[in-house]
Amino acid sequence: MGDQKRHRILMVSDFFYPNFGGVENHIYYLSQCLLKLGHKVVVLTHAYGNRSGVRYMTGRLKVYYIPWKPFLMQNTLPTFYGTLPIMRTILIREKISLVHGHQAFSTLCHEALMHARTMGYKVVFTDHSLYGFADVGSIHMNKVLQFTLADVSQAICVSHTSKENTVLRSGLPPEKVFVIPNAVDTAMFTPAPEKLSHNEIVIIVISRLVYRKGADLLVEVIPEICRLFSNVRFIVGGDGPKRVRLEEMREKNSLQDRVEMLGAVPHARVRSVLISGHIFLNSSLTEAFCIAILEAASCGLLTVSTRVGGVPEVLPDDMIVLAEPDPSDMVRAIRKAISILPKIDPQVMHLRVS
Amino acid sequence: MDSSINENPSPTRPRWRKVAYGGMQPGFDDNHTDETFLEAMVMNANVVKRSMLKVMQDSVSISQYLCIVALVVLVWTCTLRSTLNENTLLLLDVSLLGLGFLVLILTAEMMSLNLLFHYFINISFFTTGLYVSAPIYQTLTRSISSDSIWAVTVSLLILHLFLHDYSGSTIRAPGALKNPNLTSCISLNASVVASVFIASRLPSRIQVFAIMLFSLQVFLFAPLVTYCIKKYSFQLHLWFSFGLMVLTLAFVYMLHRLLFVLLLGLLVFVTVVCPYWLIRIQEYKFEINGPWDEAKLCFDITE
Repeated sequence: MGDQKRHRILMVSDFFYPNFGGVENHIYYLSQCLLKLGHKVVVLTHAYGNRSGVRYMTGRLKVYYIPWKPFLMQNTLPTFYGTLPIMRTILIREKISLVHGHQAFSTLCHEALMHARTMGYKVVFTDHSLYGFADVGSIHMNKVLQFTLADVSQAICVSHTSKENTVLRSGLPPEKVFVIPNAVDTAMFTPAPEKLSHNEIVIIVISRLVYRKGADLLVEVIPEICRLFSNVRFIVGGDGPKRVRLEEMREKNSLQDRVEMLGAVPHARVRSVLISGHIFLNSSLTEAFCIAILEAASCGLLTVSTRVGGVPEVLPDDMIVLAEPDPSDMVRAIRKAISILPKIDPQVMHLRVS
Repeated sequence: MDSSINENPSPTRPRWRKVAYGGMQPGFDDNHTDETFLEAMVMNANVVKRSMLKVMQDSVSISQYLCIVALVVLVWTCTLRSTLNENTLLLLDVSLLGLGFLVLILTAEMMSLNLLFHYFINISFFTTGLYVSAPIYQTLTRSISSDSIWAVTVSLLILHLFLHDYSGSTIRAPGALKNPNLTSCISLNASVVASVFIASRLPSRIQVFAIMLFSLQVFLFAPLVTYCIKKYSFQLHLWFSFGLMVLTLAFVYMLHRLLFVLLLGLLVFVTVVCPYWLIRIQEYKFEINGPWDEAKLCFDITE
């Protein structure tokens, strides 16, 4: 389409490496793609421990760790004008043309959007999560969001449900919101070279073990499945406050040989864990766009998930079995998944995801 | 020529689907907003419609308790001014105790003799304990000035009224279902501390004992008695509250005109103005539910 203008983009968020999660991955991969297209990308985030200053990452990605300490859940203290000097310095020094903020929960992002609009820069905002309307924290954050997004040029959401949620929370006109789903690096998530045997069915769960991700549902579902099907094994990866409950469940039902707890799995090892299984189970209670499901599908696993948030939009109906967030319905879904498992070909699934 | 009327000038594009896979849907932009946008949103699903009369009747519990507290403050003022002497106070205590027991016997469904005896024993222990510790209360705040005492008492009473549990009673009959929550315990403690402060201003030991017994009786057991009356018969509850309000207003009128006007204004505000205000602003309520909500677990998490 001809030579497009080269932009110099500033990504702002509280959440970046060395912290680990979906938003951080998204920012990193997006930056890499933009760098490949020839634009220049700079990332702005707060200092992690004593990692402060300017660092360079792969592909000449410049990261500014500004010397502000996080005070609550990896968020910096929201002083309305405290970050203005340093942001102005960075914006002018790098000759930025576009500012891209990530994640509504990040105070640094809100401040950056506000300062950038004050100085007249173009601004884009991406929202990665779903939030409620009823409790005090959500009400407060929605008010801040309405204020910040009043003047944004465009907004991006990761799924259609997320678009509805963001439009209701922030009062943006729906035409300004683009739906661009997250993507997964399919070259990194390839299925196992040879197909696994179906004598013993392995169900994999990899998630943070917190209330929000449905760890309590797992505690109800796993013993029931192990009771109904004698050839099913579970592999549970991930760590969190609810891990104790899972261990208790394991002890109480004597499932030590049928449920394997791996602890926290580093992202590089996720693929090797995924390819050792047939079915991926996701029991989260709220999810804007579940990237774990996409990674599992790319590795050729059949997915069983709760029907919440943006999950029904992620995969076509023959690659995922949906269930209500209710233990008996999830057991039914797993039963159905086990019955259609022989028809699944991991390589075909991987090619479809690519 | 006929065929050109039948065929479409442009090929119809496939319908937009609410899915995230499959890349861009042909013919639609990324920011396309379909007619099905916000179709699954449910508004005001759990909001209950209120009627003015019902809300006013429910607000009677609040004004009744306000009158009870006003009466207690009245007795305190009269005792501090030495208008009421200790014999009158002791008589008042015993008669209130007797009345309370009578109400409990008449209105409770399952009142066995054993339970009554149990209550009686508890009350005797309570009274004896108060009598024995009366000297402590008497000398408790001797070094603190009166102004501080009045200020602290007033603030504690306001705290007590603010956090009070108006729908039930903190002290429950044995076998009650709900446990008292934190705010009702805080309010009870505030009222007890206020009574101790007032009692410590009095000169003689018998007076201290009598006023402490009176205050604690009312603050601890009056909610229980009114709850029993309300449970027994709503009509009786309304008549009782009305009588209590008239009695309180009469006594306060005899004491001080300005306070009478204030109390009357407060009662009118609580009983008439607040229900009307609540119903007026209820129509602005906008509760949003939809597929983006966090799922609620249908089972209890047992630790």
